Amino acid sequence: MPQIELAGKTYEVDEDGFLQELDKWSEEFAEAYAHVEEIDGKLTEEHWMVINYLRNYYQQFGIAPMIRKICKDLKIDMKKLYELFPTGPAKGACKLAGLSKPTGCV
Amino acid sequence: MIRKTGIQDFTKPGGQVAELEPADWMKLPAPYDQMDKPLKKLTEDQRKRMDATLDGVVAIGILPPSMPEEEKAFVDRFLAGVEKLFDAKDNWTFLQPLYHSLEYCVKCQICSDACPAYVASGRQDIYRPTMRPELLRRIISTYVKKEHPLLRKFKASNIELNAQALIRLAELAYRCTLCRRCAQVCLLGCDNALISREIRKIFSQQMGIAPKEVHEKGSVQQIKVGSSTGMTPPALADILEFTEEEIAEKTGKKIKIPVDKKGSDILLLHNAGEFLAWPENLEAFAILFDAAGIDWTLSSELVGYDAVNYGVWYDDVQFARVALRHAQAAKNLGVKRISLGECGHAHKAMIVVADRVLTGELNIPRESALPLMEKIVMSGRIKLDPGRNNFPVTLHDPCNMVRLMGIVEPQRRILRKIAPQFREMTPHGVENYCCGGGSGFAIIQSNNFPDWRSSVSGRMKLKQTLDAFADAPSADVKKYVCAPCSNCKGQYRELFNTYGVWEKSGIFYGGLVELIVNAMADLKQPFIQWEWH
Repeated sequence: MPQIELAGKTYEVDEDGFLQELDKWSEEFAEAYAHVEEIDGKLTEEHWMVINYLRNYYQQFGIAPMIRKICKDLKIDMKKLYELFPTGPAKGACKLAGLSKPTGCV
Repeated sequence: MIRKTGIQDFTKPGGQVAELEPADWMKLPAPYDQMDKPLKKLTEDQRKRMDATLDGVVAIGILPPSMPEEEKAFVDRFLAGVEKLFDAKDNWTFLQPLYHSLEYCVKCQICSDACPAYVASGRQDIYRPTMRPELLRRIISTYVKKEHPLLRKFKASNIELNAQALIRLAELAYRCTLCRRCAQVCLLGCDNALISREIRKIFSQQMGIAPKEVHEKGSVQQIKVGSSTGMTPPALADILEFTEEEIAEKTGKKIKIPVDKKGSDILLLHNAGEFLAWPENLEAFAILFDAAGIDWTLSSELVGYDAVNYGVWYDDVQFARVALRHAQAAKNLGVKRISLGECGHAHKAMIVVADRVLTGELNIPRESALPLMEKIVMSGRIKLDPGRNNFPVTLHDPCNMVRLMGIVEPQRRILRKIAPQFREMTPHGVENYCCGGGSGFAIIQSNNFPDWRSSVSGRMKLKQTLDAFADAPSADVKKYVCAPCSNCKGQYRELFNTYGVWEKSGIFYGGLVELIVNAMADLKQPFIQWEWH
């Protein structure tokens, strides 16, 4: 199993860098991981709005929410979502939020 | 430069059998001809965990056995699996076409040029549709039939098998999208794609080897939680509520999506991808069926709400488990028939292959939703205004619906009626090219496999799609590829994102039912929202 080291801690991840032990997630993890997902500088309030939304939905339903629903509930469009997370909502945003990698025909 | 490769290269230790280089690949039209990059290379660390000695690409990621006794056990397990393939008790489903295809092939190679992966790769020998069968044939001659060495020499059917060759064969079984274009051109009817699938089956059923997206996170997860996406019944309920809100906002119509409505005419099976990634497809079905007065329902039973059946690509046991759950969900609701939404492999699984599994009360009539849509469109019951679809439209033919099942004309008759600028791709219909994401490829998202899919297996489709719109190349002219299959849409999304096709050429992709609803004259605003490109 691959590992990554972030801010002095070691995490188990899959081959594409998704956190394997979901309870190891912390805000420091997200902050330290941001640059890997092509985000410059510190995470902003808007990043956290998306990350917290994803985490809440995941805790409730066990999957990542539909992109349409993220955009509607947070009142942002796809363009903005990609500006915030250049590697995309399914990759970058889910990774930073500590969700498992989306699977199936999505 | 492509080096000639043959069977003997598969058993050699170390190195790579084939090297993939952009300079060799089939040329794309401008401006896409300048965009090719070498495939991402695996790191040294990854190469320790996963064998990439076929072509540098990893779909499965097999750790080779390290000790001689482990290697022997690995080879023996595979050979035991081969024997089962030829035992009617173990393989009554596919024995006959498998036997025919292995025995009758005269190695004329006419099928090679029919294969989009082979041609697009610049004609890499390893991707010839005949390569996998030839490996299997030699294994059978040497180790299963144990033919006399002189006979093997005469037939050139000898092979010195090792684990390395088998690992390469396993990966190679995942370089064929099972599109069956090769089978179509074969003068003797040999189905080399079926052989790819039977090889995958040995690895999965006998050795527990399959891409994790297809097995562990695919069919296993579907049986456990209800869907390969991880969507549980509560998540489904949340998504349907959102969908109903969307319908009301877009159309002003208050439509309740029927769930678990007993005794309905139709149980509609959607691929879960429609719920999560392409909800407009789900919405459009609900709007159309409501307007046409169709008596239909969805099921909220585990597995009953996700039409996918990945077993059809790699494993008979997983296939049967899911097919039975689908049929059981329909039986529990007492519906008259099952209708498959816009998902190609689910058509093959439920309508064609499941016929060998479902008996008695579970053998419920099963059909494609495409002819039903045609009936609705042609009935005149809904007022349709083709002027609303007055943009260039082309049609992608999902292999399972079109080449396999012969559902060719319903979707075309619909498009001729509702899309004034409809044009065909070349070639099309049963001679179509696969999207390049078939047989599970569109969902295999690990390592450098997505690179291979965009650069090699999807290349022909990208080219023929661009060619179909060559008369209106500007990004200012919005264009639509109608792809009535979830898997194909996933592949189009990836191709278009990778090559920036929306930005450069203004091409969007979506399903068939969305175009029908977009033409509905009583909707106050267009249904298709181009901003979701």
